[in-house]
Amino acid sequence: MTSGKQMADFLLRRGFAVVFAIVFIFFSVATAHFFQVDNILNIFSAMDPLAITASGMALVVMTGRLDISVGSMAFLSCSIGALLIRDHGLNPVLGMLLVVGCGGLLGAINGFIVVVLRVNSLIATLSTMIAYRGMALALTDALLVELPAPIRFLGNAKLGPIPVNIPIMLAVLILVHLLQTKTSFGRQIMAIGNDVTVARKIGLPVDRTGFLSFVLSGALAAAGGVLTTIENGAVSPFLGDGLEFTALAVVVVGGVSLLGGRGSIFFGIIPGAFIFEMIRNGLTNLGADPYSYRLVGGAVIFAAMYADALKSGRYTLRSQS
Amino acid sequence: MRKAQTAQTLLRMDGICKAYAGVLALNHATLEARGGEAVAVMGANGAGKSTLMNILGGVVAADSGHITLDGKEIALRSPRQAAQQGFAFVHQELTMLPTLSVAENIFIDDPPRRGPFIRWVDMAHGAERLLARLGCAISPKTPVEQLGVGDRQLIEIARALRRDAKVIIFDEPTSSLTKPERLKLFDVIRGLKAEGTVVIYITHFLDEIFAICERVTVMRNGETVWSSPMSEVKPARVVQLMLGVSENEGRIRTPVEAVGEPLLSVKGLCREGDLNDIRFEIRRGEIVGLWGLLGSGRTELLHALVGLGPIDGGTIEWNGDDGRRELTPDQLRACVGLVTEDRRGEGVLLPLSVSDNVALPNLMSLLNNWRLVDRRRQNALADAMIERLSIKATDRDQVVSTLSGGNQQKVVFARWLAASPRLFLLDEPTRGLDVNAKTEILKRVVELAGHGCSVLLVSSELEDLMRVCDRYLIISRGRLVGALPGSADVDALMRSIATIVTEQEAVL
Repeated sequence: MTSGKQMADFLLRRGFAVVFAIVFIFFSVATAHFFQVDNILNIFSAMDPLAITASGMALVVMTGRLDISVGSMAFLSCSIGALLIRDHGLNPVLGMLLVVGCGGLLGAINGFIVVVLRVNSLIATLSTMIAYRGMALALTDALLVELPAPIRFLGNAKLGPIPVNIPIMLAVLILVHLLQTKTSFGRQIMAIGNDVTVARKIGLPVDRTGFLSFVLSGALAAAGGVLTTIENGAVSPFLGDGLEFTALAVVVVGGVSLLGGRGSIFFGIIPGAFIFEMIRNGLTNLGADPYSYRLVGGAVIFAAMYADALKSGRYTLRSQS
Repeated sequence: MRKAQTAQTLLRMDGICKAYAGVLALNHATLEARGGEAVAVMGANGAGKSTLMNILGGVVAADSGHITLDGKEIALRSPRQAAQQGFAFVHQELTMLPTLSVAENIFIDDPPRRGPFIRWVDMAHGAERLLARLGCAISPKTPVEQLGVGDRQLIEIARALRRDAKVIIFDEPTSSLTKPERLKLFDVIRGLKAEGTVVIYITHFLDEIFAICERVTVMRNGETVWSSPMSEVKPARVVQLMLGVSENEGRIRTPVEAVGEPLLSVKGLCREGDLNDIRFEIRRGEIVGLWGLLGSGRTELLHALVGLGPIDGGTIEWNGDDGRRELTPDQLRACVGLVTEDRRGEGVLLPLSVSDNVALPNLMSLLNNWRLVDRRRQNALADAMIERLSIKATDRDQVVSTLSGGNQQKVVFARWLAASPRLFLLDEPTRGLDVNAKTEILKRVVELAGHGCSVLLVSSELEDLMRVCDRYLIISRGRLVGALPGSADVDALMRSIATIVTEQEAVL
């Protein structure tokens, strides 16, 4: 093997790491403020809702399905919780639990449509994405739902120098990661993603596992919504708008195969979410046009996916020879 | 480890009936298997083997009949229930989860756990132990996608062992194995038998059943037609029982000994594992039957000839109207009419009309001055073909999917007739047709030869071959192992594929 080929091979294998490093170094050199502890913590703090949502979505993607209703599930469940807290004086802690439970319920509806009614998951969650958002907009009259001051204060809570939502996010992701790697349920998710028919033949509870993956996706999306809401001190009509696509991008850039059966939660989602937040943060520091974020984000998705396509192409060639 | 319980019937299936949409797939089928023995289940396509096995696997429910295991009557309503009763299936298509590890593939449905968490260490040790029983030392952490077919099959067997299977069903397990892998598998099966497991072995390869099975059960048309210890039966008898001989409909064409230059001569055609030094000639106006059992390489040979499958080497010489030249398989495809085994999948375009189907391979000859397809010419061609082959369609615009099987097959013929190739390769052209439709199709074949075309004909139904062929090529395990004249009788033909088998047994 020539060194050129080796180089190409390395780039393909570590495509994501290479892109990550280039972007990181570029921003560190190009802006004065980027490479500072405060700013890195900012990035970590800002990416939390995205990372939690993406970890739930990843569970669905690992089964080989899609859930693009995550943003709407977060919006609808947070709206319900916020309205009950504001108008009916619900205890905020109970409110948070209610929101997460509500997300699980919305996810269960997705699961029912996909698993029992056998509707393609993309179409099923596209329809609930539209419907859930519509319900939430009707409930809130498309207005901001402000939360009481003590909750708003929570958004700035810190453990020493570290914003409190960072350890929360890490804890959630570690739990989901353990669920995915260390439990029967998690391995069944991977089994289904490998091949549903085979999983069924082996006698795995394919339908139950598929259903539960949607429930978890809904609950985690709602949990991500709770963090956003606390940070903003209010539920805005734009909560979770477009989140499904950013989350999906995080999932695929993080190395979770859209075909299912491949990927890691902790070691995929965290760098995946970090790179997107880093680009936003870095471009802001550069004083770039706010819309350029979308262009660069799109380019990163493309680069990661192209490397992935090349890589899988190579692997097929290899296994044939 | 269970004690060997030979000479005692462990599994018995009695009076099993199953109908699909009114068509009887199993008619009071029986099966008997003893502990520590391998029983071979043989039968041609559609004999009911797979239905019977699917009943054991809990995939299909029998309409009536009894199944007893160890003297107790059992019900098998789902794959899960069948697995709990001790039945394990090693499918031809392995049920592997490629991105998961070896250990996970073995334990996926019931891993060792502490609380909610899988105990990886125990699982890996368990996998190692099971694989060791199979004489295999793959690391349990290896992702299955990195392993070959032989190893994957062992993992499948290990999964069966883990479930403590009493009965393991092997469905054509050797079809994609290399020879060393096959021998390894036989060792494993011998080991299983020594432990007292019942092995049910389904295959088309006679040599294999004589090598490792104690009993043989032969099925035909949904019935069990023979069941005995292996020692009481000869290979030729098994073939005869499998294929049966229905009443001979009488020859359509008396064998002609063709003379003159060969149209096609093939030399040294080979492909690793599938085809071995294939050498034959076909003369003009000759109908040559390619006779062999399923899996003998008949279809592979036809496909390889025309480039639908790769070849490793060999030459194809074509003696067409413009003289003798050497062709590549892809070039040969342009010279032959190919009627494939799977006419619904490869032969016709079901949603299109008869006219469109006939026109498709001949579009270049139907172009008008504007280089567009001329409707009138296309219609004329379609009408001519409907007339010539007496295709029973209301008109040329009838959609092919609504035609009967025999008429669909005629449409396939029509497509090629219009191009008037010199050589036809016909793979099971009569499959699934009733007697009259078969005769119709065979008459067309004879007509082709009458017009000077050559035909290489493959059929699982010996009586069909015997009605039209001028001579036979015998194929077994991807090798042409003999030739017989058109006057050969049933016995000679049956023996021809069976005797070879015993020779190969010696090699094994």
